[in-house]
Amino acid sequence: MPSGDAFTAAQRRDIDKAIRDAETLCRFEFSVFVGASEGETRPFAERLHAALVAPARSVLVLVDPAARVVEIVTGAQTRRTLDDAEVRLAALTMQTAFAAGDLVGGIKTGVMQLAEHARRPRLLHTEG
Amino acid sequence: MSVHVSDDTRRGPRGQTAFGTLGAVTNHLNSSPARRAVRALALTPAVLLLTAATPALAAAPDTWEKSPSVSALHFLLIVLALPAGLFVLISLLVYVPSLKKGERYQPGLAWRNQPEWFGGPSAGVEAAELQDPAAIEAGADERGGARAQW
Repeated sequence: MPSGDAFTAAQRRDIDKAIRDAETLCRFEFSVFVGASEGETRPFAERLHAALVAPARSVLVLVDPAARVVEIVTGAQTRRTLDDAEVRLAALTMQTAFAAGDLVGGIKTGVMQLAEHARRPRLLHTEG
Repeated sequence: MSVHVSDDTRRGPRGQTAFGTLGAVTNHLNSSPARRAVRALALTPAVLLLTAATPALAAAPDTWEKSPSVSALHFLLIVLALPAGLFVLISLLVYVPSLKKGERYQPGLAWRNQPEWFGGPSAGVEAAELQDPAAIEAGADERGGARAQW
C-alpha cells in the first residue's frame, strides 16, 4: 500500500526545474511519472503519455521503482528529432543512476540528456 | 664483398659449429675428504643451536606486576560489546547523511510511496485511465521510446 511521499520539497523542486530547463532547451514537453505502474509498465506508460496535453509533442518518462523499470515514451512529432537510439542512451544513463540508489539525480540527468538530443536540429541538406 | 664471420660461429671442416666439438667437461662429482670435513665443520654451529635450544619458560618473571583477574562480563564487554558498538556507530555514520538529505529510495527495498507525476495533467493518474485504448493502439507505430531495467 502506498504510504509516504517519495520526495522532499527540495527534491521536487529539483525535478521540476530539470523539466522546465529541458522544455526551454528543446521545444517539446516533458513529463515524469514516479511510482508503481498499474499493470504492465509499457501500456501504462502509453496511457499516461496519451493523457498529456499534447502527446505528439511530449516525452513521458515513467520510473517504476517497485518494478525497477524505466519507460520512456516519445510522441510522433518528438520522435522525428529524438530517435529511439538516443532515447535508449538516456534510459541507460537513468538506469545506472537508479541502480546506485540516486532516483532524483537519475531523473535530472536523464531528462536533460533527452532534451539535449531533442534540441539538435535535423540536417535536412544531407537527405537526398 | 666479404662478410666477417667471428671465430665463435665459424663452421668447422665438417659443417659443424665450433660449439659442437666441445672437449672434456669437468664435473666435480668426487670431492676430496678434506673438503667434506670443512663442510661438516661449517654446519656444526647450526646443528648445535637447533639441538641445544631448550623450550622457553612459560612463567612470567617475578618482577612483573600481577595483572588483576578478568571477569567473564568484562571479557564479553571487550570482545562483543565493543565491536557491536563500532558496528552501530559506523552504520549510523553511513546512513545519517542520506537520511538527512531525504533520500527515500534504497535500491533493493520495496517501494511504498505515493506515485508522483511531474508535468502531468491536473487530473492526475485518473486522466490516464479515461484514455481510449483503441486510440492508444492506433498511434503505436508513430510513438517511440525505450525501456531499461535496473
